[in-house]
Amino acid sequence: MARILVIEDDHDTAGEITGTLRSHGHEVVHITDGQRALEHLLCEPFDLATLDRMLPGLDGLALVASLRERRLMLPVLMISALSDVDERIAGLRAGGDDYLVKPFVPDEMAMRVEVLLRRRQESTDTVLHSGGIALDLIRRQATVDGMPVRLLHMEFRLLEFFLRHAGDTLSRRIIFEQVWGYYFDPGANLINVHIARLRKKLDRPGAASVITTVKGEGYRFDAV
Amino acid sequence: MPFERLRLREIRKTSTFRLTALLGVVFALGVAALLGLIYALSAHELTARSDRILQREAARLQAVSAEALPDRIITEIRHNASGLTLFGLQSHDGTHIAGNLRVSTDLGFNRPTNIREKPGAHGPLRVLAIRATTGETILIGRDIAPIVDLRHRMLALLLASGAAMVVLVFGVGFVLSLAPLRRVRDLQAASREIAGGRLDRRMPISKRGDELDLFAGTVNAMIEEVERVVAQVKGVTDAIAHDLRTPLAHVRGQLQRAITLADTDPRIVRLAEAATADLDLVLERFAALLRISELEARGRHAGFAVVPVAPMLAAAYDLYEPLAEDAGVRLNHAAAPDATITCDSKLLFEAVSNLLDNAIKFTGVGGDVWLSTEIDDGFVTIVVRDNGPGLAAGERQAALRRFYRGTEATGIPGTGLGLSVVAAIVHLHGFDLELGDGAPGLTVRIRCPITPAR
Repeated sequence: MARILVIEDDHDTAGEITGTLRSHGHEVVHITDGQRALEHLLCEPFDLATLDRMLPGLDGLALVASLRERRLMLPVLMISALSDVDERIAGLRAGGDDYLVKPFVPDEMAMRVEVLLRRRQESTDTVLHSGGIALDLIRRQATVDGMPVRLLHMEFRLLEFFLRHAGDTLSRRIIFEQVWGYYFDPGANLINVHIARLRKKLDRPGAASVITTVKGEGYRFDAV
Repeated sequence: MPFERLRLREIRKTSTFRLTALLGVVFALGVAALLGLIYALSAHELTARSDRILQREAARLQAVSAEALPDRIITEIRHNASGLTLFGLQSHDGTHIAGNLRVSTDLGFNRPTNIREKPGAHGPLRVLAIRATTGETILIGRDIAPIVDLRHRMLALLLASGAAMVVLVFGVGFVLSLAPLRRVRDLQAASREIAGGRLDRRMPISKRGDELDLFAGTVNAMIEEVERVVAQVKGVTDAIAHDLRTPLAHVRGQLQRAITLADTDPRIVRLAEAATADLDLVLERFAALLRISELEARGRHAGFAVVPVAPMLAAAYDLYEPLAEDAGVRLNHAAAPDATITCDSKLLFEAVSNLLDNAIKFTGVGGDVWLSTEIDDGFVTIVVRDNGPGLAAGERQAALRRFYRGTEATGIPGTGLGLSVVAAIVHLHGFDLELGDGAPGLTVRIRCPITPAR
């Protein structure tokens, strides 16, 4: 369970965010004003904040920039109706860790929160393990049950992303954004075939796949 | 706008230069005509004066008796201190009898004639021949060197002033043309930016209030109106897309929750999954519409940089090769030559991705798709070609319109917006997009000007 500050002046959207996060077991505090939110963040411990761009008191961009100036590095998920790519870039440059455009599917918002929380807990280990799968980030080597597996550059990055978020359901869009770094919709099938290729290299004959398809949502890496 | 040198050829073509040159030529012709007239009148007057002197002298000599003529001629010569008038007496057969004028040419009588002969130190002459009562020929000549000198001076003056005028006219024309040409360049640069999607840009207006300023002001008013209309259309499109996306996203979420409920009837799960897939398609279309609207309405240049083409295409190949293999299509990629262009690499990658996605979808099992580049005359062209069914010549332009689905697209999933997104991205960059015959299949070419790497 994480302690999350929801900074949102629209009551309907705030209700949707807080309801979804609470249903995922998080403790949620809701603030509608930017200046008060900054004071809360400076005085109280939070694991993550969701932040609207346009707020009374203090603009979302200025708020996140103030946090980073004070070296407060808690993950910030920016949620805004400003959908232009330039706006997203501005949000991320100001210090946001992720950017979600309104309207959004609540489950995707929850998924992004989980990814950010998990990223915070990421170990600094140079070898990632899950089940029998190991990924050596220094030697750029992958093994399944001790047997080396040859992975192409993007397959390596895809597996690293899955291992860092093992157990989380990850949408195709999040996978494409985080692994490939592009913010357009390439179509579901493209990500599916990359996952299928990775599965072929990782899955043990006759056993269930280490990457589970979650219908209508995305994929989940399960430590088997 | 980077400073561009003004070329002489461009200056020569300006209206200011042409008008200055035309006025210069008219002025030069006027001056030449005036000088010519002055010369003609002066020459005529001097000639007439010479003729009157000749006639007067002739009348006096004609009255002298034949015996006294030689002495009289010598006397006249002696009294003629200026030496401008000459006298001669010739016999019937042309033999010189007396005087300082000898003429070998046969002259008509009683009619002054110009001759070039130069007896002694005298210049060209105007000579009048008359018949004496005894049959000899009396010759009276007048030195016309001043008239010839006047003509020469006039001609020299005409040539010198003409040459000076040509230099002056072209110099003035050149200088006068520079400022308007620079302003036209500024207007061109502004209009190129506006055509590239920067509707917030305006044509520069100086304080002079001349015809260029009037024109720029009219164009600015027009752009302002276009900007207002585009903003309105974008606002409406965005509002519709947003307003519809929100409830649709909620419906999708509720369907997902219904599916995950443990006791949901399997038949309902199947229906809910089908409904979710349909909603995904609708949401995908809304997302693409908003994307096109965003690209078309704003001059997004923040991400522009000079980037190499080769790594971008290699990344696109790596991304789509698995999809091609899965579809039974061979994706062929020829390593691109080293060329750099000014672009938003993420957007151009999106355009190439859309083209590859389309090509793979439409080619079918066993087909080929080629991703390559061509370099020609300062341009690099990104080429995506397939050997699928292609597009009929009449369909190629229509395929760039939103929601257009070609006759070959029946049964193939898609929003009908992919090529519209490509067109919007290419337009934003000011590149050229061309859909052609792949013989067989479709060839799509994006032609981009090369920017030398710094």
